Amino acid sequence: MLEMRDIHKQWDHRPLLAGVSLRVPAGETVALLGASGSGKSTLLKIAAGLEAPDAGSVWFDGVDITALAPERRGFALMFQDFALFPHLNVTDNVAFGLVEQRVSKAQARERALAMLLRFGLGAHADARIWTLSGGEQQRVALARALITQPRALLLDEPFSALDTTLREQLRSEFRERILEAGMAAILVTHDEVEARAMARRAWGVRNGGLVPLW
Amino acid sequence: MPRLTARSLALLPLAFLAVLLAAPVLRLLAEGFGAGDLAGGVVPGEPLRWLALWQDDYLRWRVVWSFLQAAITCVLALLLGLPVAWVLARREFATRALVLRLLMLPFVVPTLVAALGVLALWGPRGWLGAPLAEAGFSLEETPWLLLYGNLFFNLCLVVRAGVDALEQVSAPRVAAARTLGATPWRAFWRVEWPAIAPWLASALCLVFLYCFSGFGLALILGGQRYATVEVEIYTLVAYELALGPAGVLALWMLGLTGSVALGYAWLEKRLAAPGRVTPMARTRPRGAAQWLAVWAAVAVLLLVCAAPLIAILGQAARAFWQGQGAAVLGEPETLAALWNTLRFTAMALLLATGLGLSHALAVRAFDSAGSARGSGVADGAWALLWRAAAYLPFVVSPVTVAFGLLLLYPGWTASLALLIGAYALLAYPFVAKSLMAALDNLPASYAQAAATLGARPWRVLWRVTLPLVGKALRRGMAFAAATALGEFAVTLFLSRPEWTTLTTLIYQRLGRPGGANLDAALVLACVLMALALLAFTLIEGPGDDADPATKVRSM
Repeated sequence: MLEMRDIHKQWDHRPLLAGVSLRVPAGETVALLGASGSGKSTLLKIAAGLEAPDAGSVWFDGVDITALAPERRGFALMFQDFALFPHLNVTDNVAFGLVEQRVSKAQARERALAMLLRFGLGAHADARIWTLSGGEQQRVALARALITQPRALLLDEPFSALDTTLREQLRSEFRERILEAGMAAILVTHDEVEARAMARRAWGVRNGGLVPLW
Repeated sequence: MPRLTARSLALLPLAFLAVLLAAPVLRLLAEGFGAGDLAGGVVPGEPLRWLALWQDDYLRWRVVWSFLQAAITCVLALLLGLPVAWVLARREFATRALVLRLLMLPFVVPTLVAALGVLALWGPRGWLGAPLAEAGFSLEETPWLLLYGNLFFNLCLVVRAGVDALEQVSAPRVAAARTLGATPWRAFWRVEWPAIAPWLASALCLVFLYCFSGFGLALILGGQRYATVEVEIYTLVAYELALGPAGVLALWMLGLTGSVALGYAWLEKRLAAPGRVTPMARTRPRGAAQWLAVWAAVAVLLLVCAAPLIAILGQAARAFWQGQGAAVLGEPETLAALWNTLRFTAMALLLATGLGLSHALAVRAFDSAGSARGSGVADGAWALLWRAAAYLPFVVSPVTVAFGLLLLYPGWTASLALLIGAYALLAYPFVAKSLMAALDNLPASYAQAAATLGARPWRVLWRVTLPLVGKALRRGMAFAAATALGEFAVTLFLSRPEWTTLTTLIYQRLGRPGGANLDAALVLACVLMALALLAFTLIEGPGDDADPATKVRSM
C-alpha cells in the first residue's frame, strides 16, 4: 500500500498542499482531479521522490520512504510528454530500467522485445521514437514503466497529448494492463471522464487539500 | 539534483575563476587605484590617477577611438547584416544551407589569420590594396583596415543572430497584420522588427565587446594612429614597463566592457524563453528583384567574409610556389611551434571541457533546486549569478587577464600551468555556454523518468543527459579548440621563447624585415587556419544531424 501522510508543500511562498493524506492499496487505481496549478502533479512527484515535501511523509507497505531517492523507490512515473529518450531506439527505451537493475544488456533487450510484442509494438523494436505515432509512443512509455515490475505506477495526465479517439482506446487498454500487473496506481488528470473510466475512487485537489469525489 | 551537488559542481570552476580571473582583476584594481603616476599619482589637489587618463590627449584618443571603431562596426554590421539575414531567413535557394554553414567560418579563423587575410586583400601588396596604392590611395594608416577586419569577424555574428531571430517570428502574427491592412513593409516594421530587435541588440552587444576589447586585429591593422586601448596596454607593459598607466587603462576598459556586458546579460535573460512559434515559410525567389536581393546578399558575404580568406589562400599559394614560403614548413622553429600549438590546445581543451561541464551542470542543478521549491529565491539567484559568471572571461579581455596574471603571479609567469590555465579560462565559456543552452532546452522529464526507472544521478548524467547534449558539448569544445589554437594575446604576455606557438611565430615573422618573412607568415597563417578548421570539423562532427531531443520536441 502506498500512503502519503499529512503532506505540506509551499510554492512561491504560498501553501500548495496543506496536510494532504492519501492511501492507495495494491491493485487499486485512484484518480486525482484538479485544475492546473492545484498541486496534483506536485503530489505525484512527491510520491515518486522527485520533490521533497516541506512536511509529512510517504510510506510504502509500512516503511517510511520519504527520504528514499527516486531510483530506489521502485515506482514508475509516466509523464504527459512521455519522456521517451530520443537518443535510444524503442527497445533500448523499454530496456532502460532493466539495465539499471543490472540485468545484462542482451537479456534486457530480449525481455524488452517480449514486452513490445505483448504491446503490439514488435514491428517498431528498432525504430527511433520520433518515427512513432502518439499512441505508439504512449504504449512504449507504458511498456517501459511496467517492465521493471514497479511497486506503484504514477500517471501524470498520460493521455493529454492524444486525440479523443486514441485516448478512449488506450484508456481501456491501460486499465487492463494495470489491473493485470496488480499494483497501486495514481492517475492525475483534469478529465473526469478519463478518471471515471480508469479509477474506482477519485479525489479533487482543491485549496491545498483533497475532496472525495466518488 | 540536491543543492549540495550543485555547490560541489560549482566548486571547480569557482576556484578557477577566483584564481585566474577575480584575483588578477583585483590586483589590477589595486594597481590602478594605487600610488604611482599617470599624472603625478594621488596628490592632494590633483585629480585622482584613474581620472587623469582623460587629461592626456594621447590616451584619451585611444579610449575614444576604441569606442568609436566598435560603435561604427556595430552600425555597419547592422546595416549590412539585417538585409542579408532577412534574405537568408525568408528565401529558399540552392546554396542557402551551405551559405549558412559557411557563416560559421569566421568564428573558427584565428584573429591573426584574419588580420593577414585583410592585409592580403587590402594591404600595400594586397590584391586590391596594391592597385589602389598605385593609384595614390594608400589604405595604410587609415581606419579602413581595422573596420574591415572587425566586419569580417562580426558581420557573420549579426547575420546568424538575425536569421535565428527572424525564424522566431510568428507567421500567424504577420498574417494577422497583413489581413488588418499592413503592407509587407509595415508588417515588417510593426510586427517583425519588435520581435527581432532584442536578438539583434544582444548580438550587437557582443560585437561591441569583441571590437572594443579586441587585440590581434588592432595590433596588426590599426597602425600607430588607429590602435586600440588593448594594444596600448600591451605596449605600455611589454615595451615601456609602465605598469601604472597600463593598470589605469585596463581599469577603464573593465568598467566600460562590464557595462556593455551587463546590457548583454539583461537582453539574454529576456531572450531565454522565446516559446514555440509557427515560423514563416521560406519562399523561392520570384522575379528579378527577389533574385537580385539573393545575389546581393551572397555578394556582401563574399566580399566581407570570404574575400580575406580567399586572398590569404591565394597569396600563400604564391608564396609557397613562387616565393620563399615553402622552406618555412621544414624549419625546426616551425615544427616546434606546431608541436607547442597542438599540445597547448589539447591540454587547454581537456581542462576547458571539465570546467565547462561542471559550470553548466551546476547552473542546471541550481535551476532544478530552485524550481523544486517554487520561488526558490536563493537557488534562483545562484543559478542566475552562476549563469552570468560563465560570461566573465568574455567580459575581461585577454590582455587584461594576462596583465593581471603578470602582476599577481610574477614568479609564475614562465609557468606552463599558468599559460594553460589562461588558455582554458578563455576557452571554457564556449563549452559552458553551449551546454547551458542545450540543458535549458532539455525537458526535466527525461532525467526524472530515468531516476524513477532506477538510474542514480551519475547514471542519469551518463546514460541520458550527456548523450542528449552531446552535440552541444562537441560544438562548444570545437569553439574552445579554435580559441586555444588561435590564442595570441595571452601567449605574448605569458609565454617563454621555447614555447612559441604558431600565432606568436607568425607575429615574429611579420616583425622581421623582408619579403621572405612575409611569405613565411602567409604560409604559416594558412597552416594555422587549416589546423583550426580541421580541429573544429573533427570535434564538432557532422553538421546536419539535428539534436535528437529537438526532433522529438518538434514532432
